[in-house]
Amino acid sequence: MAFLATSARGCLDEPPSYGPFRLIDGLSRLTDLPKYATCLKDDEFLHKIKRDIDGKKFTVMTNIDEFRNMLDNIVRQITKELMARADT
Amino acid sequence: MKGEEILQAGLASCKHIRAACILRRELEGSTVDILEAIKTRRAIRKYKTEVVPDDMIETILDAGRFAPTGSNLQPWKFIVVRNPTTIDLIRKLSPGYFGAAPQAIVICSDKVTAYEKGGTLGRDYITIADCSMATENMLLAAHALGLGACPMKSFATAAIKEVLQIPDGIEPELILIMGYPDEKPNPPPKYPLEQIVFLDKYGRVWPRSKGGQSS
Repeated sequence: MAFLATSARGCLDEPPSYGPFRLIDGLSRLTDLPKYATCLKDDEFLHKIKRDIDGKKFTVMTNIDEFRNMLDNIVRQITKELMARADT
Repeated sequence: MKGEEILQAGLASCKHIRAACILRRELEGSTVDILEAIKTRRAIRKYKTEVVPDDMIETILDAGRFAPTGSNLQPWKFIVVRNPTTIDLIRKLSPGYFGAAPQAIVICSDKVTAYEKGGTLGRDYITIADCSMATENMLLAAHALGLGACPMKSFATAAIKEVLQIPDGIEPELILIMGYPDEKPNPPPKYPLEQIVFLDKYGRVWPRSKGGQSS
C-alpha cells in the first residue's frame, strides 16, 4: 500500500518513464506476497517473473530499449502462462 | 595480524578520509585517489546486513560538511537513521529505496536560515546545490572507505517528514542509502566529452587532446 501510494505521488513529479518502472517494480514486489500471506500458494512462475524483472528493471535509467524489451518479454511470459493455465 | 585485519581495523579507526585513503593505499597497494574514486563509484542497490560503525559514519558526515557552499550558508542538516523500524518505514515510503541497507543518511536543507541569509536564491537554489555537493562528498567518502551507497530522491516528502519528525522549514532533499556493498555494478554509459563540452561558445566542439580521457 505504501509503495503504491508514494509511487502515485512521486509519478506526478518524476520522469515519465518512472511510471512503467514503478508498475513493473510493483509487480516484482507483489510476487513476494506468499511470503507474508500464508494463505497464498507459492508459485515458481512468479519467482521466475521476479528474477526477470529485477535483472533488468534498472535499465529504465540507461537503456530504454532494453527496458522495453524486458516489459515485452514479461507480457509474453504472462500471456503464455495464462493460456496454459486456461487449458488445464 | 593479517593485512586485511589491519586494513579493516585501520579503516574503522580512521577519523579522516585522507588517513583512510592513505592507509588503504599503503596496505592494498592500490591508488584510491580522488579521480579514481570518482570514476569507480557506483550506485549500490544490494547490501550486506552489517551495520556501519559510528566512526566511519562520522568520517562520511565530516566529508559532507566540508562540501562547497554558496555564501558559506552551510544549509544542510543530516539525520542518520539506523533504528531498524525507522529504516523499514522509510523503505516502505520510498519507491526508490532498493536493497536492505541497515542505515541511511537523510540530507535536509534549512530553508528558513537559507532565506534569512541568502534570500530566495539561497532558499530555492543554493540549498539544493549545496546539499547535492555534500551528498557527492559523502558518496566519495563512503566509496573510499569501501562502503556502497546510493543517493535517492524518490521518496514521499510528506511521509519522510512525518516519520522523522522534521519541522517546518526543514526539507529532506536526498536520502543516502548506505552499507557494505553486495554487488559490483558495471559502469553506466556516459556521454562522451564531444557531446557535452564546447569551447568558447555553445555548439563549438571541444577539440580533444591526445592525452585526454577516453570516452
